[in-house]
Amino acid sequence: MAEPVKMSADSNIPGAWIKGVESMEFKTLIATRTKFIYFMLFIFCVGFVGLSLLLSFQRSLMGLKVFGPLNLGFVLIIANYIMAWAIAIIYARVSERDHDPLIAAVIAQARKAGGKS
Amino acid sequence: MNWISIGIFAVIMALTLWVTAWSSGRTRTASEFYTGGKGLTAAQNGFALAGDWCSAAAFLGFTGLTALFGMDGAFYAVGPLLAFCTVLLLIAEPLRNTGTYTMGDVILYRMRQPSALWASAVGAIIINLAYMIPQMAGGGVLIKLLFGLRYDVSVVLVGIGMILYVAIGGMLATSWVQIIKAVLMLGAGLIILVLALAGVNFNPLTLFESAEAKAGAAFMLPGNLLKNPWDELSLGLAIMLGLAGLPHVMTRFYTVPDAKTARKSVIWVMFLAGSFFFCTTIFGMAAVHYLGPQALRVGNPGGNLTLPLLAEFLGGGKGTLGGQIMVGFVSAVAVATILAVVAGLTLATSGTIANDIYVNLIMKGKVEEKSQVMVARLSSIGIGIFAIVLGILAEGVNVAILVFLAIGIAASTNFPVVALSIFWRRFTTAGVIGGVALGLVSALYLVLIGPAGKFYAGPEGWWQIANPTIVSLPLGILGAILGSLLGTRDMENEKRFDEVMFRTQTGIKSDV
Repeated sequence: MAEPVKMSADSNIPGAWIKGVESMEFKTLIATRTKFIYFMLFIFCVGFVGLSLLLSFQRSLMGLKVFGPLNLGFVLIIANYIMAWAIAIIYARVSERDHDPLIAAVIAQARKAGGKS
Repeated sequence: MNWISIGIFAVIMALTLWVTAWSSGRTRTASEFYTGGKGLTAAQNGFALAGDWCSAAAFLGFTGLTALFGMDGAFYAVGPLLAFCTVLLLIAEPLRNTGTYTMGDVILYRMRQPSALWASAVGAIIINLAYMIPQMAGGGVLIKLLFGLRYDVSVVLVGIGMILYVAIGGMLATSWVQIIKAVLMLGAGLIILVLALAGVNFNPLTLFESAEAKAGAAFMLPGNLLKNPWDELSLGLAIMLGLAGLPHVMTRFYTVPDAKTARKSVIWVMFLAGSFFFCTTIFGMAAVHYLGPQALRVGNPGGNLTLPLLAEFLGGGKGTLGGQIMVGFVSAVAVATILAVVAGLTLATSGTIANDIYVNLIMKGKVEEKSQVMVARLSSIGIGIFAIVLGILAEGVNVAILVFLAIGIAASTNFPVVALSIFWRRFTTAGVIGGVALGLVSALYLVLIGPAGKFYAGPEGWWQIANPTIVSLPLGILGAILGSLLGTRDMENEKRFDEVMFRTQTGIKSDV
């Protein structure tokens, strides 16, 4: 294999991340974040892949009038807009409330452990 | 020639060139050239993202597709908003925390192998050029209409504009060009929305009802544009994941100070661009309601003239001052839209060539700051000239196929490679190469033999889908996984994954 490339903007801070990765705070952060992101991704996929599948293979069902002149297809398209905006707001809220303080704690821990950030 | 649109366009050009001159004094280091000094706020980057992501296909195309093809147009419009969910949940913050100037930085940081960076750089350049040619061609056609110039002269003018923005003003000028364009685009949208709704007592449902009555019941059903259901599905998949693989949009996350701001800027763009996409569906229905389905088809096969026609009608009709002002405004904004997008593409391509290939691969990072900026400027001029030539050659060629290609390749190569670099410990350089190779080759091949391609075998052929993603995406992922599992196991790389994950999540070391 070729010689590894050193990045132009790269410097080593020994110790800081090793301690950081092993810290309890970091493990909590990864666990809570992963769970949350999987959950949001699941909703997103169900919503959008579901819409794509229905529009592709259930075309006459999409013509069912459900809200005044709007048929099921248009209602689902509008629902996808609302879903996307809801995901945006919920993700921003939860990240700010639950994850950002954890990240701050992890960084503080790493700094204390001897590395600079 | 429409003097009003030329006047409005002249004002936009004066403003963007002034911003470029102002930015040039603030673009001295490589970081300033590529990231504008990382000083943008979340709102500014949100507007710039909207400016970058909404090409003329979004500004003119979505309205036209909805007016001509009903529900399929509305489906086209919602996808680009949902694409930002993928970016928000998986890519934006890790990218901001790991890279410095380009998407290739992420690959290099993770793999530390030149061949991995070569693979990702080649993919990025092909995606950018494929995305750029239709924009150049569209800009040429628009300016030709607007000023009555020849097509090739028009393409050269677009090219000169983008080269000036990027080579002189770097990322700061490019960002502000995109912000100005986004404000104009949203402003135009808001005016059209108010005027369109004023005619129906502000009840959008009336527009849907009337459109169905005028265009027929089939208009409100899927399948008018995307007749093959697999094409509809493939398009959905390509848009959902392709955005996260487009280098020119993703490098925008390097312009903000930290991951938190990157996250907030995604929220901004989702509401700004999302509202605009939503309105295009209303505009399409309004066009059918006010102008009638027959009048819309005259001389407007692709639907791109629908929005100017609607604006003209809402302004007071053909020949009136109000109508002329509205058409002039919409046309000028459309040209500004193209300029902003090609500027972003030029900058991202120059980042790949100057930073990834020249600085990191050829010079192994040993390049002085001053010459880094010089190389970046020169490469953006070179790319600009190359794009002008390609744009001129593209006259009369159906270039829409290239957009399928660009987004398909982005979804099938760049997205899996970046996502796996961030999230998969066992991922290796061989995996990067496998993913790029299989995704790129299969997407390219399937587009060429598909219904939009040069080697289409007719309706009897085995491959009938214009958008390759439904097959090329699984192949790209397969290539990445097989490459990693079959190639030599890179223990050093796996050991470093803890560091990678720590940096992805916390951003420590991201601005050394």
